[in-house]
Amino acid sequence: MHHVLILGAGTMGKVHAAAYAEMDDVQVVGIVDSDYEKAAKVASPLGAPVFASVDEALSTLDYLNIVDICLPTFMHKEMVFRFAEIGIDIICEKPIARTLEDARGIIDFCREKNVKLFVAHVVRFFPEYELAKKRIEEGAIGKPAVARTFRGGIFPTGWNDWYADFSYSGGLILDMIIHDFDYLRWMFGEVERVYAKSLLGRNLLRLDYALVTLRFKSGVIAHVEGSWAHEGFTTRYEIAGQKGIIDYDSAKEMPLVMKSKKAGKGAGGVAVPESPLKKTPYYLELEHFLLCIERDEEPKVTAEDAYKAVEIAIAALESIQSGKPVTLNSEKVHPRV
Amino acid sequence: MKIGIISFAHMHAYSYARSIQRIDGVELAGIADDNVTRGTKMADTFQTDYYRDVDSLLSAEIEAVIVTSENVHHVDHVTAAAEAGKHILCEKPLATNTVDAKKMVAVCKENGVILQTAFPVRFNTSIIRAKELVEAGKLGRILAMKGTNRGTNPGGWFIDPKKSGGGAVMDHTVHVVDVMRWLMKAEVNEVYAEVDQLITEEKIDDCGILTLEFTNGVFATLDCSWNRNKTYPTWGDVTLEIIGTDGMVSIDAFAQKVNVYSDDKGLAWDFWGDDMDFGLIQDFVTTVLNKREPSITGEDGMRAVEVAIAAYESASRKKPIYIG
Repeated sequence: MHHVLILGAGTMGKVHAAAYAEMDDVQVVGIVDSDYEKAAKVASPLGAPVFASVDEALSTLDYLNIVDICLPTFMHKEMVFRFAEIGIDIICEKPIARTLEDARGIIDFCREKNVKLFVAHVVRFFPEYELAKKRIEEGAIGKPAVARTFRGGIFPTGWNDWYADFSYSGGLILDMIIHDFDYLRWMFGEVERVYAKSLLGRNLLRLDYALVTLRFKSGVIAHVEGSWAHEGFTTRYEIAGQKGIIDYDSAKEMPLVMKSKKAGKGAGGVAVPESPLKKTPYYLELEHFLLCIERDEEPKVTAEDAYKAVEIAIAALESIQSGKPVTLNSEKVHPRV
Repeated sequence: MKIGIISFAHMHAYSYARSIQRIDGVELAGIADDNVTRGTKMADTFQTDYYRDVDSLLSAEIEAVIVTSENVHHVDHVTAAAEAGKHILCEKPLATNTVDAKKMVAVCKENGVILQTAFPVRFNTSIIRAKELVEAGKLGRILAMKGTNRGTNPGGWFIDPKKSGGGAVMDHTVHVVDVMRWLMKAEVNEVYAEVDQLITEEKIDDCGILTLEFTNGVFATLDCSWNRNKTYPTWGDVTLEIIGTDGMVSIDAFAQKVNVYSDDKGLAWDFWGDDMDFGLIQDFVTTVLNKREPSITGEDGMRAVEVAIAAYESASRKKPIYIG
């Protein structure tokens, strides 16, 4: 039985709690959030206690073996250090950290303290994304040439509006399209060069849009689009190879759409699409991490992968600020962006 | 009004010829083509005269010509037509380098003939509608754009740089760059591009992603790859997304289609929207009849070529190229 303490009752904390609720071998031992009411809504179906602080949780709980950090990015480092110090295995939301130095610090410290560290790059667990990788590996489209991805929708709202604070979140690039950076690197290997443009620094209120070109060492050219200027939320990809094309668009593939005549919570005259699965990608991801703990195995997304994803994102931010392409190599010291 | 066509090397000649024949009072008066088989066949198809050489067509009683020869020959054919006093609609890209493009603009000016660049996408009805929305201020201030003009590798002379001047970047940069310039009334001042030969075995660029900065601060990307494979349901696309402060518009210029599933061809997208090539020819004819300034000038053609050339330079030097 795993005893999991969840930090944060925001969007991801809620989603993770719902996944754990479905698992037989997991007990959520508590949810830490300074907003009691929000946390209570997440905790009560699980019969879990709510703690106002980590201190309170640690002084109250007899036992836990996993902490699941679902807090804003800039808080990751402090929390990882706190729990690694006392030997607790860690699941941490993506991005692993706000800066490369913090990311490296987190990885090194967990290794030093001999605790496991899993970073929740959940896109690798979305069946529609995994399938493209599988088909490409089987040769369905021949050698990949040009890839395009889209991820975006409306500007996100979070605790204290932290997404809108670039120094907290790293914005659209570090918080959102890092998913696609990781996914593309998973398929095509290391990135050689990054060039990017975005609305960062243009003083537009709650609006961001980014177009990033990645050149992989394998030759693949990828175009990564991120938006906090659209409505709703959609993701898309298209990978064109020497002998074929594979594509997916969440806005077009809708297995279930609910349209209610009654005006009500989120459904009044509005179409509510769902893509129901017996196991959600979040469930699959957490189940995989727990299995890796039990069997002492490498996860399919490692902490080093999470570092590399931040490295691509930071290079994109650097390119946006300098107007120049950024060549990636591990020896280079990146300016703080 | 009599119009001649110089060469059927470019497949657009076919639809231009058909468009000419749909307009009352306009006649396709002759076809010049150095390829005798193709020229005579086309002359037969369109019931018109065949000329072995360009000069004989130009000495015939015609007012205008459409130049649809291989890209590198545009400069000679436009120059000859201008000197013969014929008005000209020239297929894109206007030229394969900016020196030729400038020369073409100058020679047409000297001889007092109209030089229009064939950018039919400006006559796509969804693109026209998007321009109306932009001009009505529906999007607020434009911040960014994202375009694609992807296609199948056309093969033939298109993949011979000595005749085409370049591959996918030369072929597919200019349409959408022209539309972006036209929509915003702004010029491109910086180009970055990743370009490579990743699909074909031939030595020609077939994949490219360009990033552009405009004089008004807008940034944009454009995918010009020849990466639609044989079984893709259509030859290619023109898409453009415009992000503004107050909204966005997403255009898929050929999305007016029905899906046809046949045992022979698999899935095919069958287009039923307005014919943009016809719109272009109609506009050119009206321009010549009224002796007015063309809606798409030689300079417009030249600006788009400039971007394609800068993209090649950027890709080889791995840095952004300023053309402002």
